[in-house]
Amino acid sequence: MIKTDKLTRRFGEITAVNDLNLEVEKGEVFGFLGPNGAGKTTTIRMLTALIAPTSGTAQVAQLELGRDNRDIRRRVGVLTETPGLYKRLSAIDNLLFFARLYGVPSPEKQAERYLRLFELWDRRDHLAGSFSKGMRQKLAIARALLHEPQILFLDEPTAGLDPEAAKVVRDLIETLRTDERTIFLCTHNLDEADRLCDRVALFKTRLVAVGEPQELKERLYGRRTVIHLVDPAPGIEQALDLPFIKRIERMDDALVISLTDPEKENPALVKRLVEMGAKIQFVNELRVSLEDLYLDLMEGNHAAN
Amino acid sequence: MPRIRVILLKEWRESLRNKMILFGAIFLPLVMVGAAEVMVYQGRGIDIPGAQIALFNTALMYFLILPAIIPLAIAAYSIIGEKEQGSLEPLLATPISDLELFLAKALASVIPALVLTWLSFGLFLGISFPLVGGIPPHVLTAPWIAAIFGLSPLLSLFSVGITLLVSSRATDARAAYQVSSFGILPAIVPLIIYSSQKTLVNLGLVALEGLVLIVASIIVLYFAIKVFRREQILTRWK
Repeated sequence: MIKTDKLTRRFGEITAVNDLNLEVEKGEVFGFLGPNGAGKTTTIRMLTALIAPTSGTAQVAQLELGRDNRDIRRRVGVLTETPGLYKRLSAIDNLLFFARLYGVPSPEKQAERYLRLFELWDRRDHLAGSFSKGMRQKLAIARALLHEPQILFLDEPTAGLDPEAAKVVRDLIETLRTDERTIFLCTHNLDEADRLCDRVALFKTRLVAVGEPQELKERLYGRRTVIHLVDPAPGIEQALDLPFIKRIERMDDALVISLTDPEKENPALVKRLVEMGAKIQFVNELRVSLEDLYLDLMEGNHAAN
Repeated sequence: MPRIRVILLKEWRESLRNKMILFGAIFLPLVMVGAAEVMVYQGRGIDIPGAQIALFNTALMYFLILPAIIPLAIAAYSIIGEKEQGSLEPLLATPISDLELFLAKALASVIPALVLTWLSFGLFLGISFPLVGGIPPHVLTAPWIAAIFGLSPLLSLFSVGITLLVSSRATDARAAYQVSSFGILPAIVPLIIYSSQKTLVNLGLVALEGLVLIVASIIVLYFAIKVFRREQILTRWK
């Protein structure tokens, strides 16, 4: 659905996006993660044919960026960083305006469909300016979907929302993933990306890493088992000499052991520790959050690939 | 064309809900009609030909100021309003072309300005009947008609071009309005000077002013269209 080849955008001396190579599949929820100023919005603007790349090429919805810009804009929907609604117009007038600009065949029916879907139908005649932040965001997402785009670009959809409103928006995204639409989700909310995205790209002017969240975590950290012991003997970590152990660290009374296949290796590990006289309190898997991964990669503590 | 119409209707719907624009669009023409009536009423009883002609020229000037002033507020609020609401980017993400967007924004200001100017002129003629007993002398002549219907669109276009240029760099509608008001002064100054003359406005003068306005409008609109490109709007506009 989206394919970029060395996509680059410079603003004078500043390079906002550098040599971006990316492939996003149909129906995928793709997270594009990076800090403020990383070039995420510039990337979205290029992929939605709003600004031209300085160099490189891209195909969006099987169309060539630069050559088919108008058609690309017909096939993608964008939720910009701010909802960008017309505050002096009612909710339905906002949607009708955009439906007509996109040439939607039955603007009234389509506007009604999305207002009902997003539970805004009862407020359709209220001015958008009177809406809460969460309602505005829902209306803006409805606007981005009116023309049934193949690809939906969401730029920080939950930024500035209270937890309740953010949950509403996240639930909405969950419902959208069921209808084979490709979603390009730009965010720095890592928990949100972890929960919603099939794959994520970590980006800071250049692509730092790309893959499924779990796969990225395993690629970088492996899988780790944490065994909490009661008064562990000094030097127990050195004495534990099983061949499948990749790495072992001592953290206070716990051992953090990197394994390849914990499901198979944990029983042998526990058995060996018991034989060595260790008193086991708990055994759990050490779960790495996307945040840990993100911070490590962005701070350059790990090589990405 | 349908997209231009869609934007035009949206612009006008928003303008009708903006008290500043609405007040200016109703109040200013009424003031100008009133002032023009005072001029012809005063001129009616004066038997000094030069003085009477100067008063009539001033009356005409009022109707030529309207198409230059009315678009200022509409165009300024149209652009700054989009900036304030952050609605430019979603709008630019639609399949509309840069030129369609520019034309829609320009026409959204020019059309009401011309309609209000011509309605005001009609109102002026209508009120003249009970006030001075008929259409005032020197009014329904070729120079007046040429000025009202020929110069007005040019004054509006020039004014819109200036306002769109100023608004692209401004973040406050009132500031954009004020700066644009100074920007359109060169187009109005000849009218102000002429209003004090003691010779009746003639076709030659109307044609000369028209020619100057055509050249000035082409230059201003050329730069305004250049500024109205997606890339410029998203990366250069304040």
